[in-house]
Amino acid sequence: MALDPRDFPVQEHVLANGLQVRLLPDRGLPIATLYSFFRVGSRNERPGITGISHLFEHMMFNGSKKYGPKEFDRRLESAGGTSNAYTSTDVTAYYEDFAAEALPLVLDLESDRMASLNIDDDSLQREREVVKEERRFRTDNDLDGMMDEALSALAFQAHPYRWPVVGWMSDLNRITRQDCERYFRTYYAPNNCTVLLVGDFDADHALKRIETLYGAIARGDPLPEVADGEPPQKGERRAVIHYPAQAPALLAGFRTPNGRQADSLVLDLIEASLSYGEGARLKRALVYEQELCVDANVYFGWRMDPGLFQISLKLNPGVDPARAESALWAELARVADQPMAEAELQRAKNFVRSGLLRGLQTANGRAHTLGQMEVMLGSWRAFLDLPDRYQAVTPADVQRVAKSTFAPHRRNLVTLVPGELPEGVAA
Amino acid sequence: MIKDVALPPLQIAQEPSGLTLLAIQRRAVPLFHVRLSVPAGAAEDPRGKAGLAQFTADLLRRGTMRRDARGVDELIESMGTGLGIEVSLDEAALTLTVPSDLSVRALDALLEVALEPSFPDEEVASARRRTLASLQSDLDEPSSVAARAVVTLGYGAHHPYGHPAHGFRRDVETFQREDALGFHASRFNARGALLAVVGTAPPEQLLDLARERLAQVRWPSEARRAPLDFAALPREGMRALVWHKPDSTQAQLRIVATGIPRRSPLYMPAVVENTALGGGFTSLLVDAIRVDRGLSYSVSTRLAMARHAGLSVFSSFTKNETLRELVDVALEKMRGYARTGPSKDALEKARSYLAGLFPLGLESNEALAEQVADAILDGLGLDHLATYRSRIAAVTAAQARQAAEQLSPARDGTQIVVVGDGEVGRKALTDICPVDVRPIEDLA
Repeated sequence: MALDPRDFPVQEHVLANGLQVRLLPDRGLPIATLYSFFRVGSRNERPGITGISHLFEHMMFNGSKKYGPKEFDRRLESAGGTSNAYTSTDVTAYYEDFAAEALPLVLDLESDRMASLNIDDDSLQREREVVKEERRFRTDNDLDGMMDEALSALAFQAHPYRWPVVGWMSDLNRITRQDCERYFRTYYAPNNCTVLLVGDFDADHALKRIETLYGAIARGDPLPEVADGEPPQKGERRAVIHYPAQAPALLAGFRTPNGRQADSLVLDLIEASLSYGEGARLKRALVYEQELCVDANVYFGWRMDPGLFQISLKLNPGVDPARAESALWAELARVADQPMAEAELQRAKNFVRSGLLRGLQTANGRAHTLGQMEVMLGSWRAFLDLPDRYQAVTPADVQRVAKSTFAPHRRNLVTLVPGELPEGVAA
Repeated sequence: MIKDVALPPLQIAQEPSGLTLLAIQRRAVPLFHVRLSVPAGAAEDPRGKAGLAQFTADLLRRGTMRRDARGVDELIESMGTGLGIEVSLDEAALTLTVPSDLSVRALDALLEVALEPSFPDEEVASARRRTLASLQSDLDEPSSVAARAVVTLGYGAHHPYGHPAHGFRRDVETFQREDALGFHASRFNARGALLAVVGTAPPEQLLDLARERLAQVRWPSEARRAPLDFAALPREGMRALVWHKPDSTQAQLRIVATGIPRRSPLYMPAVVENTALGGGFTSLLVDAIRVDRGLSYSVSTRLAMARHAGLSVFSSFTKNETLRELVDVALEKMRGYARTGPSKDALEKARSYLAGLFPLGLESNEALAEQVADAILDGLGLDHLATYRSRIAAVTAAQARQAAEQLSPARDGTQIVVVGDGEVGRKALTDICPVDVRPIEDLA
C-alpha cells in the first residue's frame, strides 16, 4: 500500500543559485530538524587525498565569517540544539535537532558556513589529529573496520569506492589547506546541496528566511566527473588478515547495481530474508542450527554507483573458517536455486515496510529519509511509491537477482585469522 | 522562555494483580508499540549466577508452551518486526512495534513469549554455548571490555549491580534449565511489572485492549526473594586496572566514581553540571581534549543512574603515545571543575541545551513508552517529564557546583580503567596510582 501524499505536505523550492529547499511543517512537538545534504563523498576523491571528504566534514565546525572558531556548536547548544554530520561514499550530510525557537539561529549558522567557511592551518592540524584518532578507533583497532577496509580494496579495482571513507593514514597526513579550500569551492556550492527542514515552524516565514540568508551565495562550477571505470569481475577474489583476535571472522562482498536500479529493491528484500530477525535464513542456519557463528549480518546500502552487498559472519571461537564459508555459499545458492516461498517473501516485505514507517516517527528521521530520496533517487516523492514497489517484487525476481549477484566468480572474501601480526608488520 | 512539554493523552491503571497498565495515544504514524517491563534485571542475578537474568530473557523466544523456537520466530517476524529484549540493571523489558492493524497479534505474541516459555533442555544447552562464545568474542571490542570493567569495578563485586548483564564465563558454564525456570517463576510476576501500549486509538480503548488480551494468560506466582542490599562500600585513594589487549595502537580510558540513583534529589543539578562538564560538543572536557589538543575523537562524562545507585564515568580514547597526556588533562580539568562548578555561561548553555532537546526523547512510540514507564517504575511520576524543562531551568549555580563537587569522576576512591597495551598503560599510570595489569581474558 503506497504512502498517502497528504501525510507529507512537503513544499518544494529551488533558489536562483540552485539550492534545493524542502519544507515539511509538523506542529506536534516544539522541535525541528534541519538537514543539509551535499552531493559529495569519498567517490569524489582521488588517490593522495583520500579521506578529505570526511576530514572536511570536521572542518565545517571550525568557524566562518560571522561565527568564529568554537562558535557554531556553542551558539547552537545555548539555544537548545545539537548538531552532527556524517560522510559516506556518496554524500556528506549535516543536521541540527533543535528547540523550535532556535530556527532563525540555525539557518544563520548553516548559511554562514556555506557562504564563508574559515579554513586555517591550525584548525586543519587539530582536526587531522582528531580524524586520525577516529581512524584508529574505527579501523586500526576494530576488527569490523579493518575487514571492511580490506573488502572494499578487494572488490573495487578502479572505482573510488576502493578506498575507505575515513581515508588512508598516509593521505590524512598529506592533505593541505589548499586541498581543503579547493574542495570547499567545488563541492560546497548551493547548487550541490539540498536542505530539508522538518518540524514546528511556519513554512512561509522559513522560506523567506532561507531566501534571504542563502540567496546571495554564488552558484558553483559544474562538478568534476567521478573517476569510474570499474572492470567486470572475472573471478573470485580473496584476502586474509592475521591479527590477535579471539575468533575468526568472514566478510563476503558481491558487487551490485547502483541504488537507482530496480534490482536494488530486490536486494533489500534478500537482505531482509537473510538477516532480519532471529528466524532469518543466515541466523537460523549458521547461528542456531549449525552453531558456526556468534552473529550473521548483511549490509546493503544504495549507492550512486554500482555498490556492494556485504555479509559478515563472526565465527564461534575455534570454528574452521572454511566450514563456515561453505555453509554461507550453500545458503546463498539456496536463494538462487529455489524460489522463495510467498510467505517468506512477504515476511521480508513486512520488515522493510515497518522499517520505513519506524523511520518516520521523528523529525530527524523524516528529514533524513526525504533527503536520502532526493540525493539517491532524485525526488523525495520516490518514497511514496516504495511500499508498492517492494510489494510488487516476485519470487522469480528474487531468484533472478540472487543468481546473478551471488555467482561464484563474483565472490570477494576477507578472512580474519586469529594470531600474531605477521613478522615485520607494526601494530 | 522555554515552556514545559504537554504529554500526549495517556492513562495509567493499577490492576488487582499488581500489574501497572499504561496506555498512550500517538496519532503521528500508524504504528502500535507494546513494552512489558518486569523486575528481572541483572541486579536480580543470584550470587554465583551472574548473567542469569539476561540468559533467561534470551531464552524466552526459544520455545513456549504452544510452539517451538521456529514457531515463535514465525509468530513474531511474520509481522515484519523483531522482538526487542533489553536487560538493564533493574528490569527486563520485551518490546514489539508493528503496524496499527496488528496490535492484537502483537500483544498476544509478546505475552505468550514473556509468560509461557518452555525452556526446552536442548535450547538451554545451545543458548549456553552461544553465550559463552559471545563472551569470548566480545573481548575483541575494546569499548565492550571497558564497559564490562566499568560496572564490575565501579560498583564492586559485592554489589547487586557489580557485574555485566551478560555475566561471567565461570557462572554461565553452570546454567541449567532449572536456573532459568526458577528465575522466570520468581521474577516474571505481575506485581512490580508494567505493560505499556502506545497506539493511534484513545487511551481508554488501548487499556480495554490490553486487559482483554491479558485475560488470556496467567502470570507465574512464585514468591520473590528478600530485598537486595544496594549499600556501596566506601573507597579510598585511587587505583588503576589495565586490561591488556595485545598490539593495540590506541587505549580506551575510563575514570569511574560513585554516582547517584535516579530518585536522588541531586538529579536535576547533576544532569546540568554533567552536561557542562562532558555532555554535548562544547563541554569543558570536549574543548580541552578534542578541540584544543586534538587528543581524541570522543570525550564524554556520563551519569549512569539506575534505580538504587549510579556511577559517574569519564570516557575517552587516544593513541598509545598520548595516554598519559589524556589522563593528566582529564584529571586536572575534572578536579578544577569539582572546585568551581560550571561558569555562568556554561550553566546557562547546559540548561538551554537540555531543555531544548528534551522533547526529542518523546518523539517515537518506543522512546515515549520507555520514558513514561521508567518514570513510573522509578517512582518519579509523570511530573518528572511534565515539569522537566522548568526544573532544568530552575537549577542554580550553587546547586550545580555542589553536584559537581559531589559527583566528579576524579575524586577519592576513583578507579581508572584502561583497555589497550598492558605496558603502555602501566608506564602511563605508574606514578599516578597503584596499577594492576591483567589479560582481557580475565574479564570474560
